[in-house]
Amino acid sequence: MKKASIPAVISTAVICYIFWLLISGGLVALCKGTPDVRNMIVGLVVSIFVGLFSAKFFIHENSFYLWNPARLVQLLIYCIFIFPVELFKANLDVALRALNPALPINPGIVKVPVDLKSEYGEAMLANSITLTPGTITMDIVEEDVPVEETVEPLEGESPEDAAAAVSVRTKKQTFYYIHWIDVATEDPKAAGDMIKGTLEKGVRRIFD
Amino acid sequence: MRIVVDILIVISIFFAFAGVVGMLRMPDSFTRMQSSTNIATMGVLGVIIGGAVYAAFGLHEPEMVVKLLVLGVFYIITNPISGHAICRGAYKHGVRPKKEMKCDKYGEDMVEDK
Repeated sequence: MKKASIPAVISTAVICYIFWLLISGGLVALCKGTPDVRNMIVGLVVSIFVGLFSAKFFIHENSFYLWNPARLVQLLIYCIFIFPVELFKANLDVALRALNPALPINPGIVKVPVDLKSEYGEAMLANSITLTPGTITMDIVEEDVPVEETVEPLEGESPEDAAAAVSVRTKKQTFYYIHWIDVATEDPKAAGDMIKGTLEKGVRRIFD
Repeated sequence: MRIVVDILIVISIFFAFAGVVGMLRMPDSFTRMQSSTNIATMGVLGVIIGGAVYAAFGLHEPEMVVKLLVLGVFYIITNPISGHAICRGAYKHGVRPKKEMKCDKYGEDMVEDK
């Protein structure tokens, strides 16, 4: 297990402290002008200890990623505007399906490519998809796929040789297996556009 | 204010009802999971937001509002993880739907790996 770095401990402790203040009522007391000093100091000590012990499980990439205000604003926009809209649409769709006497379901598992650089982004998108009714992420895999490029054959080289040279090159591509209640298309790209909708763009703005 | 709270709670009750009906009617475990996320999202969020609005403007208790919202956030974070784990575990354990699925890329790829 990798050892936790100091920035990771600081980030974890800050998050823990924020939740301590929210849940114990310290923040409300502070806003009212009657801060509970003892409560806040105890919370700080506890948060630092929790950060020391749990940072190595919690943070693997750049620790100060979300400390950038622009990213925080994007995160808030995602949580308040983009995601609830998708959530409501999908909810209505599945509710009407369940109440429809004919039960128009057409389930299946599709494989969908995802282009996100960060692990957090991938996890967040997968959880968003699972939380949306009608789709559940079943697994995430990383596979080598051939890079599709058309290259002009060089001089004195037959087209078959050029094609062989191209097909060797591969790149890492992440795939989700998604259980979908109404399979409209089995084509990975089109299914991905239908399932992810605006979610992937929102996540990419936060984490890439 | 009271009307807003009532509307939110009625919406969430409608979605919870639809989710329960779906759970009873769906043919296999995976589609039942789908229907249960219906309850888990709008059904719970409507009640939580309705309660937060009532606590803010009816009871004037900011602490209660903060706690309800934190509850909602943790609910949203933890729920999809369990849903994903249950679904994947069921599939790996060998649960298969009675009605044939339209396409099953996951099963095809698992066979290829073996």
